Amino acid sequence: MGIVKVANPPDDSNIFKLGFGYVWAIIKGLQFTLTTMLKQLFGFEKSETLEWPEKPVTYSERFKGKHFLTRREDGQIRCTACFLCATNCPAECIHIEAGQHPENEIEKFPVRFEIDILRCVFCGYCEEACPVDAIRLGPEYAMASTDGAKWVYTKEYLSDRPELQGGLHSVKPENDKHSTVDQPLPAEKYRTEVVHGDH
Amino acid sequence: MTTTTTDNQKAQAVKAPVQVTFTLNGQQISVPKGTSVMEAATKNKVDIPHFCWHPGLSVAGVCRFCLVKVEGARKLEIACNLEARDGMIVSSVDAEVKEAHKWALEFHLVNHPLDCPICDQAGECGLQDFYMSVGKYDSWMNRPKALKPKALDIGGDLVLDTERCILCSRCVRFEEEVTKTDALGIFDRGDRAIIGTYPGKKIDHNYTTNLVDICPVGAFTSKEFRFKKRVWFLQDRPSICPGCSTGCAVDVYGKPQERHYYRIKPRESEVNGHWMCDFGRHQYVPLNAELRLPKASLQVNQQQKYVLLEDALTELKTMLGQVQPSEVALLVSAQYTNEEYAKFFDYFVTQHKIKHVFQWREPTETIEAFDGLLMRGDHNANTQGLLSAMKQVGISAKPTNEFDKALDSKFKLVIALAPELPDTFPSLAGQLAKLSEAPAYTCVFSLMVSLARIPGFDCLIPMRGWAEKLGSFTNFEGKIRQLEASFPPAVLDALGVDEAVELLAGSRHFQPREHTVH
Amino acid sequence: MTSTASSQKIILAHEGMANSRALSTYKANGGYTALAKALKMQPTQIIDEVKASGLRGRGGAGFPTGLKWSFVPRDITGPKYLLCNNDESEPGTFKDRHICTVSPHMIIEGIIIGAFTVNANKGYIYTRYEFQEEIGYLEVAIKEAYEAGLLGKNILGSGFDFDLDSYVGAGAYICGEETGMISSLEGKKGQPKLKPPFPAVSGYLGRPTVVNNTETLANIPWIINNGAAAFKKFGTEKSPGTKLFSISGPIKRPGVYEVPLGTKFMDFLNHQCGGMLEGKTFKACIPGGASAAVLTAEEMQNVTLDFECLAENGSMLGSGAIMVIDDSQSMTDILKVTMDFFSHESCGQCTPCREGTGWLANILEGIKERHATPKDVDRIYDIAKNMSGKTICALSDAAAGPAMSFIKKYGDEIKHNLGAEHS
Repeated sequence: MGIVKVANPPDDSNIFKLGFGYVWAIIKGLQFTLTTMLKQLFGFEKSETLEWPEKPVTYSERFKGKHFLTRREDGQIRCTACFLCATNCPAECIHIEAGQHPENEIEKFPVRFEIDILRCVFCGYCEEACPVDAIRLGPEYAMASTDGAKWVYTKEYLSDRPELQGGLHSVKPENDKHSTVDQPLPAEKYRTEVVHGDH
Repeated sequence: MTTTTTDNQKAQAVKAPVQVTFTLNGQQISVPKGTSVMEAATKNKVDIPHFCWHPGLSVAGVCRFCLVKVEGARKLEIACNLEARDGMIVSSVDAEVKEAHKWALEFHLVNHPLDCPICDQAGECGLQDFYMSVGKYDSWMNRPKALKPKALDIGGDLVLDTERCILCSRCVRFEEEVTKTDALGIFDRGDRAIIGTYPGKKIDHNYTTNLVDICPVGAFTSKEFRFKKRVWFLQDRPSICPGCSTGCAVDVYGKPQERHYYRIKPRESEVNGHWMCDFGRHQYVPLNAELRLPKASLQVNQQQKYVLLEDALTELKTMLGQVQPSEVALLVSAQYTNEEYAKFFDYFVTQHKIKHVFQWREPTETIEAFDGLLMRGDHNANTQGLLSAMKQVGISAKPTNEFDKALDSKFKLVIALAPELPDTFPSLAGQLAKLSEAPAYTCVFSLMVSLARIPGFDCLIPMRGWAEKLGSFTNFEGKIRQLEASFPPAVLDALGVDEAVELLAGSRHFQPREHTVH
Repeated sequence: MTSTASSQKIILAHEGMANSRALSTYKANGGYTALAKALKMQPTQIIDEVKASGLRGRGGAGFPTGLKWSFVPRDITGPKYLLCNNDESEPGTFKDRHICTVSPHMIIEGIIIGAFTVNANKGYIYTRYEFQEEIGYLEVAIKEAYEAGLLGKNILGSGFDFDLDSYVGAGAYICGEETGMISSLEGKKGQPKLKPPFPAVSGYLGRPTVVNNTETLANIPWIINNGAAAFKKFGTEKSPGTKLFSISGPIKRPGVYEVPLGTKFMDFLNHQCGGMLEGKTFKACIPGGASAAVLTAEEMQNVTLDFECLAENGSMLGSGAIMVIDDSQSMTDILKVTMDFFSHESCGQCTPCREGTGWLANILEGIKERHATPKDVDRIYDIAKNMSGKTICALSDAAAGPAMSFIKKYGDEIKHNLGAEHS
């Protein structure tokens, strides 16, 4: 157990000292609030408050939000159903069913790829574990829904939802098995103004 | 040739078991003369990395991985072809040896495609294991790798990936020495060499999946298991194959959380060596939850209806009380454990004085059939056990099918221990139909859900499958084969015959059941 | 010089004679007298004589022949075999071919004596596929020998039976390795076998087998006729006798020469071979076939052509194939051609050789494609070092030796050219 040191309590042996302790602190606090309010009211300072959801907000490309599956050059999804994301997932929210791809060169592909988003903790381990840059966490953050069925993201949704504008290609060459991916996906391809609400 | 020499040496060793003592990594090891350093190390749990050496095959000495340092020798020697001699001082942990192991691994990986993400072997691959134990280097290979044919269907249960192959020749030797089918060869040479079948030919025998087991990498994968599950999600339990009377030791792989079994692999034992047949490997299928009788069932208005286990057993007990012992037939198949038979016969024959015990066997079987390697014509794991259990309670019998006798109209109650494995009983569907139409009250202990779809059965009790039981089988030569560990049953209500009998007898009480995961 | 030179010849004594291949010519010049003599000796006597002569295998490894014969178990019943290794595939070597062309009967006589010594009743001459003409010469000679009663039942009335056949390989370098050759003869893929057991105990068809090089066997009749002492007059203490050298490169008179072992290389080059071609400067030399380490011109100055001196200089006498390199040649190219050869010829059995030879060839391909860095050149040395001494046969070492020596001695030049090609 850790020990948290707090400030000494005000001395309550003397009413003046006690009053001085609390009241002075309150006045100091209100003074800051008031000056900030006035500054922002008269335009001396910019307000940091976001007016979401009235105004859309974009996060950085590297934000770990809603997942998506990237695609190959030929448009098929890159995922090879290696299960490394599912193995690595601390929330055990990824469910994959692998199958034999009709093309012999691809061999293995996910017949089903589902993420139970209610269980997901957005740690990004899936992204890190992926050897082929097939799963990424994008800047979409609005995931609330009233329809329970939509909380399980299917393969189709993860690779081809409207926000992805027809799908994203990975920046990693397809036969590359060694290099790590450290650059974000091309920004122009990914529309960062997120359509919020139900999907 | 190598084998003959080793065999001769072994034969001599049997005649005069001369022991030699040598030092391996500072440890004194005493082994019979003629033992290789590799065999001695394996017996003494010293790991010397290797690919081509396999205890069930001849020595090829081609992977050059098991290099060890022998004091006084000019260069490193391979442990698999190095006979242990008295006073020899061997090291497999010397700095020079470690460096050699690292390089040996690097050479193996130079043209390896590293497609671990899509390779079923990942998780139990020699290359991965040894990379972690003796490798951990950064590869120097920066040139394009040699490309070879991938995902070839070469017959049997096999898919061949020649790119992943490290040409250890285990599979070629297996075909040559174990099955003697010689279906595989190494074609071309240098780094263009590939394993393959002869033109226009495919592998076709009952032991193909052993090639998947002995392949130290993912060159051979099993069609049946392909892409089903990553191996690190699986749990395994040592058990005995129920597919025939040989009683091969096996490991069953399943995932209890999913109530699903995935594969069976052989486990080394004196009975089966290192191998098992493809037929036996298939016997996990009937254990999967979707094929299992989920609950007890009783006949209500000509319809089967799932009921509580308690109700079914109570009804059976009531029936038992209403009829004379001479009006009861016990129809017993030979696929249950010795322990189950003991309890079953003790309760019904000794206590209830039921004298009509009939064997339920496949009418088309040829018990004496034997394929020369492992599989026998008697596809019941425990024929010998059943016969001796019957003898124990005073009924002598030979393995004959007495199914029809149990259908005699004089019986008012037939209690049947149904066969577990439909693969081993080609006539099972017909027999079940006949049994369901019998005038008697039929109570069947079974694990198959298909029985619940036949309207005629009066009472069905769900059984544990073979991988869910502890106990023993007695194999064809009378050896006791222990089912060492078990999975929790794939269906909650499943009982062993012994448990069911104890519940009937009242020596065990119903417990609230939970699906526990071990 | 010329008169002494001709008297120094043992194997090529009949060179230049009209119709030298014919049995009549061979017999007229003392042929098959050694056989008659040997058949009257005890096998152990023959072994002692050959041991005393100090004759060492001429195929490349230089293993004492008498000792090799003595390994064959004497008290064993059943067939034994003697194989003549005429699968001369070492790049730069063409000496055995020359013996077949000059006096095939000398080989056959040597084989019969060898077979009598180890009590083998069946022998094969394993010739590489490419020697079509020489195979013809050998087959004619075998036929002549059979007709003259020198082969077959009861040879020369001695009661010794011996059958000899010619067998043609399918053109694999590795079949020149004795166990590789045995595999090939057995009808299997030509790849070396794990030793032990050694061929002397379990060789062709699992029976005791002796494999000798053509030149080695051709020396035997002379030794039997003239005795070990006379043989030891040639050559050095540890490398007695004469040796055929096949010399090639930008020199005035390339070809096959028989010279006593221990001859100074520079004398040999400048006298017999007439020195370098006009305008060419001697830069380096591969003294024992493609699998020998390269030696620089300076190193070659004081080298004598025998097993010991070349070994001391870090190379080997090998099959006696001397390849002279002049300064107009690219060392990168020579190394690449050599590595391509070994990569092509590796049987693919042992991993370090299969992958190592291919890898070295691959890196050199990269150097030619100008994709390489100086680091890659250094790696050639390390890879070669780690593939040598780790395989069933010596092919891996044969590839590693030249690779290491080229990088050690000409690594800077290769790197320099790499830089030039880069810019």
